[in-house]
Amino acid sequence: MKSKNRDNKLYSFWFVVPSLVIFSVFFLYPIITSLYYSMTVWNFDSATFCGLDNYKMFFSENSLSSSIVHTLIYAFLTSGLKVIIAFFLAVFLCSKIRTKGFIRSAVFFPNLVSTMAVGLTFSYLMHPTKGVFNLALQALGFSPINFLGDMNLALYSVIATDVWKGLSISVVIYIAGVQSIDKTYYEAASIDGANAWQQLKSITLPLVAPSQNSIIILSLIGGLRTFDLIWAMTGGGPGFATDVMASVIYKQYAYGFYGLSTAGNVIMLVLISCIAFPLQHFLMKREEAIQ
Amino acid sequence: MKKSALAVLLAAAMTVGCAPAAVMAEESAKPFEGVTLSMWIYSAEYNEGTQAIMAKATEELGMEFAVEISPGGTEGDNIIKTKCASGDLPDIVNYNSGSLLAALNPKEHFLDITDEEMTAKFDETFTSTVSQEDRIYGAPFTTTQGGAVVYWKPDYEELGLEIPKTWDEFVANCQALKDAGKTPLYLSGGDTWTAQVLFLGDNYNVLAKNSAFADEFTAGTAKFESDEGGLRSWKKYEDLVDMYNADSTAAKYDDGLEAMATGQATHWIMLTQIVPVMVANHPEAAENIGVFAVPGDDAENVGLTVWEPNSWYISKDSENAEAALAFLDFWYQEENMNEYIGYMGANGPSCIKGFTLPESVPDAIRVDMQKYFDEGKTAPALEFMTPVKGATCSQISTSAALGQIDGATAAQMYDEDCKKSAVQQGLGWE
Repeated sequence: MKSKNRDNKLYSFWFVVPSLVIFSVFFLYPIITSLYYSMTVWNFDSATFCGLDNYKMFFSENSLSSSIVHTLIYAFLTSGLKVIIAFFLAVFLCSKIRTKGFIRSAVFFPNLVSTMAVGLTFSYLMHPTKGVFNLALQALGFSPINFLGDMNLALYSVIATDVWKGLSISVVIYIAGVQSIDKTYYEAASIDGANAWQQLKSITLPLVAPSQNSIIILSLIGGLRTFDLIWAMTGGGPGFATDVMASVIYKQYAYGFYGLSTAGNVIMLVLISCIAFPLQHFLMKREEAIQ
Repeated sequence: MKKSALAVLLAAAMTVGCAPAAVMAEESAKPFEGVTLSMWIYSAEYNEGTQAIMAKATEELGMEFAVEISPGGTEGDNIIKTKCASGDLPDIVNYNSGSLLAALNPKEHFLDITDEEMTAKFDETFTSTVSQEDRIYGAPFTTTQGGAVVYWKPDYEELGLEIPKTWDEFVANCQALKDAGKTPLYLSGGDTWTAQVLFLGDNYNVLAKNSAFADEFTAGTAKFESDEGGLRSWKKYEDLVDMYNADSTAAKYDDGLEAMATGQATHWIMLTQIVPVMVANHPEAAENIGVFAVPGDDAENVGLTVWEPNSWYISKDSENAEAALAFLDFWYQEENMNEYIGYMGANGPSCIKGFTLPESVPDAIRVDMQKYFDEGKTAPALEFMTPVKGATCSQISTSAALGQIDGATAAQMYDEDCKKSAVQQGLGWE
């Protein structure tokens, strides 16, 4: 028995220790302490236990709970738009066009600019009186739109900017996916008389599923955690109209409400996990089903 | 080699020989020669003017200064609290007045200066913000400033408008300006903190209706939603929604400085710290800018909400208290106050009774604001009277200013926000 056991054990347990230590120190320990501090009123010196009051406040106070709704709108809308628009762009960029190289670079360009710079640039472009967008609208005879100042519109203006900036990565992933599809499928289909639309629907779309899944997961998690673009463009305003979870948490932290801010982080962690894990599971299933 | 060694020796002998003689000659004139006062001060306060007066004090009184700069914000607050707790306070502390001072429990740590000669000169509204149990601990660092309506005089002259004594008159003036095709009111919503000034600057009118409001508010019994004056403050935003500049959601504080100094808008409800800045950038604006207090409902009782300056405090355990007091005395000599204002300008009237601002200060401050001080119609802003301030005040006031929420909703949201602050500060509301 003993000797058999030893044979099965290829590696010593001690090999795991380094990564286990790192995992515990930088991941497990912070999660457990943050769970504790999220249930306290905490000023770094002393922490008074207050049960679930911080969580209750996060869900009951309008300025905090509205941020959860904004985060969900932001994440699903940016993710959805990126998945759809990037797909058509990628297919277009894989077709036989002459300026393919240039357009590919042009599409990727926004990704090279820092998010803060993009945010500031767009907030100037969207300025209600001096912005280029509104000057153009007025020149065409339309009345100016207060992109970032209108409470009902501000969030969508930021979403549009995010899509503009984030599209490039999705396009690159899609292009890789489209190019890896075996050309013989298309040849066979065209011999069978399938038109371009049918080829797109029945060959390209199912076979880019692995790339598509990566894009969905990446952009959705990115959207749920978003902070920098919102901060650069609106700072969460006007009023509370574009406050997302990350910006609200940052603000609570800046006010010195450390316990409340930690509770917000725990909520965000749970929210992202609850959306990302089942979604990944579902997408994997779908991918397997296709293949 | 030998020659140079000799030269060094000679030079050394000369300096050693001369130095004590030079010191001895001046010693008698400088009472605090050899005293080094340690000082803790914010970087904004340790400015050109402060440094000039300090250098002058060294020259005339002899004391040297060892300055430590506060990082400011909550970090600075934490350091000063630690210094208090460990008995490691510097001789002189330059720190906020009002509720931040109260949080330090001044009677335990700072010298009681109530009976000093200079203290009698301090304005009572100021001393109320640096007192604990009727003893005074702080001396004003610089001039006050107001949260008030800054206005463009030529527009008032053009339309023959009167300075409003009540809020309704103010709204009527704005309407008249709007009808005449002008921009009645400026809002710099791109810097959200600026939208708070109407609410914060209305404190005189809140206290006029309920003088105990601040104490009741701190105790958690008075609420903006239910207090008559408090609710009125928030409702004032409703009357102004249509009066703002076209880019009110995006305009920044600096845009406002430019717009007001060139007469592009008629009113801006702002801190009067903008006046010296506008005049520095556009000297011709000095004659065209005026200031009046945020109007209330009683034409007989119009008063200004005042932001008190930071203060000088002396450590209770300081061995150099005498030198520190002498420095403060020196600070309040008329000549030195004038010199400071010469460097830094004045944001409002002085907290020193009987001190007249020099002619270089624009009329908006020297005449318009001084009037309220002379009549005794001033009240400190609420933040000097209570430690509770809603953290999202600037966001709520921006929403109210842009008409996204009405005054009653804003008041209710602000009460909730204050409750959150109070709970997080451990004040035990409910």
